[in-house]
Amino acid sequence: MSTEIEELLQDGMERFTTGVHAPAGLAAVAARLRRRRRRAIQAAAVCGTAAVTAAAVLIAIAAGGTAAPAGGQTAQAHTVAYVVSRVKDALATENLVYYGKTTGTDGPSASWAYGQRWRWEEFTGAGCRNVTSTGECTHRGGSVRSLATGTARIGGKLTGAYVTYYNREYSLSPITAPLPTSACSRTARLEMGGPAPTPGDHWSDFINATLACGAASVTGHVWIDGVQTIQITGKPITVALPPGEARAVREKRTRVGWTLYVDPTTYLPVRITATNTTFGGPAATTYSSLVTNVQWLKPTAANQARALVRIPPGYHRASHPWDQ
Amino acid sequence: MANDRAVAELESFLAERADQLMRTAVLLTGSREAGQDLLQTGLERLLRHWPALTGDPEAYLRRTLYNLAADGYRQRSRLRRKLLLLRAETPPPADTLASVDLRDALVRLLVQLPPRQRAVLVLRYWEQLTEAEIAAVLGWPEGTVKSAASRGLRRLRGLADSWPQTELHEAGLRGSGR
Repeated sequence: MSTEIEELLQDGMERFTTGVHAPAGLAAVAARLRRRRRRAIQAAAVCGTAAVTAAAVLIAIAAGGTAAPAGGQTAQAHTVAYVVSRVKDALATENLVYYGKTTGTDGPSASWAYGQRWRWEEFTGAGCRNVTSTGECTHRGGSVRSLATGTARIGGKLTGAYVTYYNREYSLSPITAPLPTSACSRTARLEMGGPAPTPGDHWSDFINATLACGAASVTGHVWIDGVQTIQITGKPITVALPPGEARAVREKRTRVGWTLYVDPTTYLPVRITATNTTFGGPAATTYSSLVTNVQWLKPTAANQARALVRIPPGYHRASHPWDQ
Repeated sequence: MANDRAVAELESFLAERADQLMRTAVLLTGSREAGQDLLQTGLERLLRHWPALTGDPEAYLRRTLYNLAADGYRQRSRLRRKLLLLRAETPPPADTLASVDLRDALVRLLVQLPPRQRAVLVLRYWEQLTEAEIAAVLGWPEGTVKSAASRGLRRLRGLADSWPQTELHEAGLRGSGR
């Protein structure tokens, strides 16, 4: 082994790094990356059912046409039966593609769902514009895609996919679990605070369960874009955070609330709102809110394709979203 | 913000150690831009584990940086490798001494090495760690470290062969150890 080359290499390393200084704000950028990735993973984990859940409940109530009486069990049962039948018919005949545009505390996002396919994309906000490979905002103009998650068609099969555009990486995973069978479950109610929809084949069951257990109630009528929608408010749920998540965010509990607005003529949701509060720990209480405006698209090939995540050529595959 | 305290603690830590860590990251990646990228990724991971971290955060961060680098973090494109090679072939104008040129060139050639070999050489000649210590940092068997170091140096020497012969002779490298 050459002594000279080792010494020259050492000297070269010293010379190469002379004058190298760390840029300011590294910790802040790390925190921003941390928040973004946590949100993305949470979204990937929960969005499977969130908006579908919301839409299902919304459709269910909306199909009733009028507000369901909060108290009357018989009236509620009739409403449930009617709503379920109307929703089944509506979905069977329309077979539409869900498209939601979400704005909120965490920046804009968009979601598509059709059958077992779904896609959720987060964009950089107006205050951020472009994002670099380190997650920093560059203010070069133009809102851009930051990440996408959902289902992709790989080798003819649907699989879970997570793409981070800012560093040109992606990872694959088993497809997300479909809609929970009961909207009354803790999981389903928590998922109501999620940002994106997931398709499912159990809409009528879900609606049935939602109405039967009182997970939502009609709270009024609201005009949205010239339509007098029916407002349905979900019963807020507060739960203790899992230990790992609690440590990560230095909080103890989270509370999720949501409100749905349904077009009574189409039996489809036009808007979904959700709030998420994390509190009870040493960190300051965090509050986030989401507003999703929903459109229902004709199931053309192009619209169906929009419900799939596409992995751009040349992207590097990571083993897990956390590694991206 | 939920992790304000962790961020404040991280800022305090970085106030003292950021420059040195940045230099390590630059050596591992070959450029300031990529080094910053690597350091930022390592810091994000450090922040993720900060609440539960019981040991020395710098040791954790260094381990993360080296393992990320050794795993081929952020694969470079062929074009970028080519550009680095072209830069390495261009003697720096500030210092005309051939030996100094070669030192610069060696570091640039270091960037051409496979990530694992590069990480081992940086640990060995920048951090001045023993092979046993390198094995502990990377979690590899010591034999693997020795092998990577040996291959790295051999390859570096091979890459150095492409350097203009006159400059190598002036630096006293050509022929030594061969």
